[in-house]
Order: sequence, then structure tokens, then C-alpha cells
Amino acid sequence: MTASVVRGAIAVSLLAFALAAAPARADTDEVARLQQQLAALEQRMAELERRLARAEARSDRPEPASVPRRSFEDVLVDTAVLGVAVTGAERIEEARIQEAPEPEPIRFGGALRFNHFFREDVKDSRTRRGDSGFNLFRLNVDGEIRDIILSAEYRYTPDMDVLRHGWIGYRFDDDSMFKLGIHRVPFGLLPFASHNFWDGVPFYAGFADNHDIGVAYERRDGPWDFNLAFYKNEELGSAGTLARYAPDVVREGEQQNEEINRFNARVAYTLGRETGCEHEFGISGQRADLFNATTSSRGSHWAAAGHLDSRCGRWNVQLQGVRYVYDPDNPEGVSNDMVRLGAFGTSFDLAARGKLAVANVAYNFDLTGRWLDQLVCYNNYSRLFKDVGGGRDSELNTVGCGVGAGPLFAYVDLIFARNMLFFGDGSMVDSDDDRWRGRFNINLGYYW
Amino acid sequence: MSNLRRSTLLFLTACLLLPAAAADRLTVVSWGGAYVKSQMLGFILPFEEATGIQVDVLEYSGGIDEVRSQVRSWNVRWDVVDMELFDARRACREDLLVPFDHETLPPAPDGTPAREDFLEGSLLRCGVGNVIAATVVAYDHERIEQAPTRIEDFFDLQRFPGRRGLRRSPKVNLEWALIADGVPREDVYRVLDTEEGVDRAFRVLSRIKPLVDWWRSGEEAIELLEAGQVSMTSVFNGRVFDAVQRGETFSILWDHQVWFMDVWVMPRNGRRQEQAAEFIRFATATDSLARQMQFIPYGPVRRSALAQIEPDMRRQLPTAEENMATAIEGDAEWWAANVDRLTERFERWLERPVMVPRALPN
Repeated sequence: MTASVVRGAIAVSLLAFALAAAPARADTDEVARLQQQLAALEQRMAELERRLARAEARSDRPEPASVPRRSFEDVLVDTAVLGVAVTGAERIEEARIQEAPEPEPIRFGGALRFNHFFREDVKDSRTRRGDSGFNLFRLNVDGEIRDIILSAEYRYTPDMDVLRHGWIGYRFDDDSMFKLGIHRVPFGLLPFASHNFWDGVPFYAGFADNHDIGVAYERRDGPWDFNLAFYKNEELGSAGTLARYAPDVVREGEQQNEEINRFNARVAYTLGRETGCEHEFGISGQRADLFNATTSSRGSHWAAAGHLDSRCGRWNVQLQGVRYVYDPDNPEGVSNDMVRLGAFGTSFDLAARGKLAVANVAYNFDLTGRWLDQLVCYNNYSRLFKDVGGGRDSELNTVGCGVGAGPLFAYVDLIFARNMLFFGDGSMVDSDDDRWRGRFNINLGYYW
Repeated sequence: MSNLRRSTLLFLTACLLLPAAAADRLTVVSWGGAYVKSQMLGFILPFEEATGIQVDVLEYSGGIDEVRSQVRSWNVRWDVVDMELFDARRACREDLLVPFDHETLPPAPDGTPAREDFLEGSLLRCGVGNVIAATVVAYDHERIEQAPTRIEDFFDLQRFPGRRGLRRSPKVNLEWALIADGVPREDVYRVLDTEEGVDRAFRVLSRIKPLVDWWRSGEEAIELLEAGQVSMTSVFNGRVFDAVQRGETFSILWDHQVWFMDVWVMPRNGRRQEQAAEFIRFATATDSLARQMQFIPYGPVRRSALAQIEPDMRRQLPTAEENMATAIEGDAEWWAANVDRLTERFERWLERPVMVPRALPN
């Protein structure tokens, strides 16, 4: 309505002035006429301003961004929207910028990776100058529709095809989130306790990047970060399955335990938040039952961790300590000094009681060239102190770099391990090997 | 009168009137939003009234491609264009614009010649400056714990913690980064002229990059501040004025504001150059500029116009004396030569995180 009135007023006025202007110039008393017209113009401008003020009072917000750009004529006659001062330097940018498209509610991603490795402790590997092969094909689905979130990841590798995670979440008004499904257990350093491709001892012991099925609640409140979770059991609903992404207690051979009804809690506080030098201090705890299928009875498990994740400029330092206890209720003749874990299509043992330590340092290089987008170099050290089992500590140290260029990302790692799984006869229970064994690994992936 | 005779008479009348009407029209190319409102009310309607020339205002998105195309084809439909300073300089160098005779500009009301009344640098060989706008730092004085007093505070996350808003462009950001690193304002573009200088500016920006929310339009910058998502943001001064009018409790840090100018130009080979020049003279007259400033917080390029503005409004202009104390004049020439190269580098830099990412590809 207001727009119509203003549009009409402008049209009538312009017509009147146009008609009046021509004869005025021909008139000998031009000055008097011009003064008269100027007075009329000022009167009209005052009236237009009053109408504009009234219109703006009804619409005190600027034009919303979603309103499409309009022609000048539209803008001119509808003075109600002329409320935003668009300053000189910004006009050119705003006019050239297309509105960012709304993100797709459901997005797809994935990766294809290949691996090349050279094992210095294996004669055949040395003779062949290493081995290459397919490593992974991965598909991801992520999305959010009306605060309900979906995230899932399927992985196919030479050893298994498996759902790494798959959960549905709900985001509350305060940005806290509830999750249901297979998701990462909130314990210790998150999301990973290492920077490299091969990962660290906590991962192989089931205390990092582990995914189980359950419910979780996440909340961030200023510098505080809270996680509460409950997991009914391991993620596949079948403790005998060895083809899984990350190690879980499995029923295999004489070891017939599985982890059930686990509660997790994690609290972290970030010191120096929003200062460019942030230090996250956190504690985590978990408590579960260990169901033994042979005795049909329940043992117990608990673990606690403290961590520091410090990101200062281009440096990242991570420290973590973990104490864990598995107290299985095995039948006579079955060792209580270890539990059997399964992943990657195989099984291996872990000392039933022990401590874990992590010390990682990484540096993100400042790249100014055109071709490389990312270069992160790191040294990741982790160690398992075995309280039972009689073996020497298991140690893993990886020095390497992650190099990114567009969709390509490669890890170039030199891995040394002692008494560690997949290195010689190393195990996380009773091996007694004093020798460091090496592996050079290049993992190249295309990520989309 | 039969229908045929009436139609014939109307046709002949139209044929007689059309050329006259065309001669009394002028096409002025400018920008949208409140800016054009200020021009309409400030001097376009009065110009029409005073001269009988009808002004058709077209909206454009900057650049000189269209002007070049019209001039080279001798089919010039744009009579007057409101250009960014660096575009005006480029177009003038390419000989796309008509040189302007500054002696024909009206003097100030007190008789001061135009040459003395216009700010330094606002009279170009091919055009006449009109308004000055600035990029400044804004913050919500009700929310911020400690108000910044100098541009270095924007880059000091230890003393002034909180997220920052910056425009997704190298312009202004590089200048401020060098200032924050101790470069005197008069040396900024000399330092930026070297690779080491550019590296140095990016290094300073990298210090705050993890905590920067990048905006593209001035409206987004204000929204970041309104939502409390950032504690300070760079923004165009007009946007802050607008938000304050709506009741926001925003303040401006004028220290090292970076200002740019708009320029009226006439494309070469136009058919109405006399009227176009008349329009520019009218639009840059003291009264016209002063009237325009009632509707928008821009700095007029004439000292006499500034003097006519209400003191309250004058204090909010980039050209107010106290606001200009440490101001940097955006070097339009330098940016015209370097904007493509540095924008490419800036975008690459944006994609590359400073901190070690929480999650590398897995």
C-alpha cells in the first residue's frame, strides 16, 4: 500500500515537473518560476521523507539476504526497503557475489586409497623393495534435516567390509546433541590420539577412535566440553565377528568375553579459548561389564584417562595417560591376565591390566606455493606398560608427514615398534623382544 | 475528426517530440540500496527540476568492461558513471573516459574555488570525486569486556580474546596486518610491493586466522556482531551507522580506517557530453553533496559540504578530522595492479589451516 502511494506520488510529481519545466525555460520570468518549483520540490521531498519514515518504522529490519536483487526502478519506487547503507567499497563486492547456495541436506563423500610399505625386518619385503596394494574404498553419507542429523561411513578393505560408524542425532536449541547408533566412544584425546596413518598403541588397545553402539549426549558450554554415553555392546551385535574397524573385546578361542553395558563420561576444559593458543585439559572414565559366554557370568572393566591437547599457532602437543583394568570371569584354566581383542579380520591379545602413555607433537607448515595445500609433520610416540603378562612394554613411534594437494592426501611414515602387534612376533601381552623393528609406509588417497 | 486523421496527427506529434525528449534525457549509472536513495534525494531530483533533463538511473556492478565495450563500439548508452576510484584510474589510462575540466566546477558558497575546496586527490584527470566511504573495526560496546583503542588490538588475541570478523578479501586486511606489525601507515603500500612484505602481512593474519569468521557482504558482518559470534569485525562504516539507527549498541574504532572514493566519470564518444558534464557539476556542488549526506554517512569530497553537515552526522563520517587522524587512503592504483594476484593468493591461504587440524584424512 505504502509502495503504491509513494510510487504514485513520484509519478505524478515527475509528470508535473516535466510539464512545468519546458515552458518555464521559455518564460522571461524564469527565476521566479524556478524558485516556485524548488519550493514545491522541497515540500514534496518532505512529504516523501515522512512517508518513508512511516514505512521504515513498520519495517525496521534491513532487507533480508534471501530477497533477490531487484531492478533499480523497483528499489526506487518501493522506498520502504531503502534502509541499508551500502557503502562505497562494499558495493562492488556485493554486486559480484552470488548468493551462497544452501548446503545440500544430504551430502556424500568418500575416499580411495592405496598403500606402499617396506618392512625392514622381513627379508622378502626387503628383497621385493616393498609391496603395494589397494588399501581402502570408503563411502560417507552426512546430512541434517530439521535438526535431525545423519552420519554413516562404510569401508571396504582387503580384510573386511564394515560400517565404521552410523548414527542418527538430534541437535537441541543450545547446540548440544543426542546421538543414537554406532559412534565414536568419547574417551581421551578426540577425535584421534595420533596424527599418522598407522595410529598409536591406544588405538590397538581399543582406547582411541573406537566405535560402539549406544546413545550419547554431547554439550559444549563455553570452555567446557561434556560427553556422556552408554553403550550396550560392541558395534556389530556379534562379539565373535573379527572384521571390524577398531579393536573390541571378542569371543575367540578359549577367550569368550565381551564388553557390555558400558558407561562413558568425559569432561574437558579449554584454557585460552579463542586466543590462538588453546590448551584442552580433560579427564575420561568408562565402566563396563565383561560377559563371559562360557561361565555365563559377568566380570568388569574400567578405564580412566587424563589428557592435554595443546594447539598453539602451528604447533600441536598431545599428552595422554590411561589406566585400565579388565577383570574377566573366565572358567578354570583360562588366563585372566589378558583379554582377546578383534579387528581387521584378525584377533590379538592385550594385557588385562596396564597403563598407556601418549606423547605427540605436530607442526603445520606455512605453505605459500601453488601446488601443495597442506604439510603437517609429526612425531607420535605411544607406550603400553603391562601390569600383567610378564612381557616388556609395547612401544610405537612414528615420524612422518601428511601432505595434501587438492583431493589428494598422502601419509609418508617411518614407523618403529618394539613388542608391538604386526611387528615381528610382538604382542601387547607377553612378547619379550628388545629390538626396534621398522616399517616405511606411504598411503596415498583421493578424498572427496 | 476521423480516426485516421486523429492517428496521423498523433504520429506526427510524436515524431516531432521524440528527438527533443531524447536530448533531455541522461543515463546515469550508479549503485543500488540506500546509496542511490541518497543520490536521488540529494541531487538527481533537484537536477531534473532545475534543468528539465530527465535522468534515467541504471544499476551496475562495477568494473570497466561494459564501458570499454560501449566506447570501442561507439555505441555509448551510459552518459555518466559512478565508478570506484581504481576503476576510474584504469579506464582513464585506457583512454575510455573524457577528461574533465575542473575549472568549470562551481565554487564553494563562500567563493572558494573548486580546486581549493575539493579534498586532495579527488579531482582526477578523467573525473570528479564525490563521496568517501571507509572500512573500520566495529564492536558492541555493551558486550565487549575491553574496548579496542587501536588497530593492533584487533590482532591481539591474548589481550582481546574472542573471534574476529574479516571481509573475505585481501583488501584492507593486508594493510591492517602490516600496521599491526609496526609498519607506519605511509609505508604500507611500499612494503606490500615486495614479496617479503606480502609474506609478512599474511604471517600476521595467520596469527588470528583460526579465530576469524569471514564475511562477504556488509550485512553479514553486522549479523556476526549482532549474534555475538565475533567480538570485533571489520565492516563498512555506513553499515554501523545503519545498525546503530536500529538500536544496536555498536561502536566504531576509527584508528587506521581505510577509505576509498567514488568518482563521477563520462565515457568517451557519448552523445550527451554537455548534459553529462552539467550533471557532474550539479552533483558535486556543495549543496548537492551536503543534501546527500543527510541520508547516508559518507564523507563529501568538498570541505564546504562537510561544513554544512549537522555536527552529529559529521562526527560519523570518515572525513571528520578526528576520524582521519590515522586514516589510510586505500591505494586504488596499487590495488588495480595487484588485486588479481593477491586475491588468488588470499584464497589459497584461506583454504590452508594454520593450526594442526584436529582430524587429518582417515
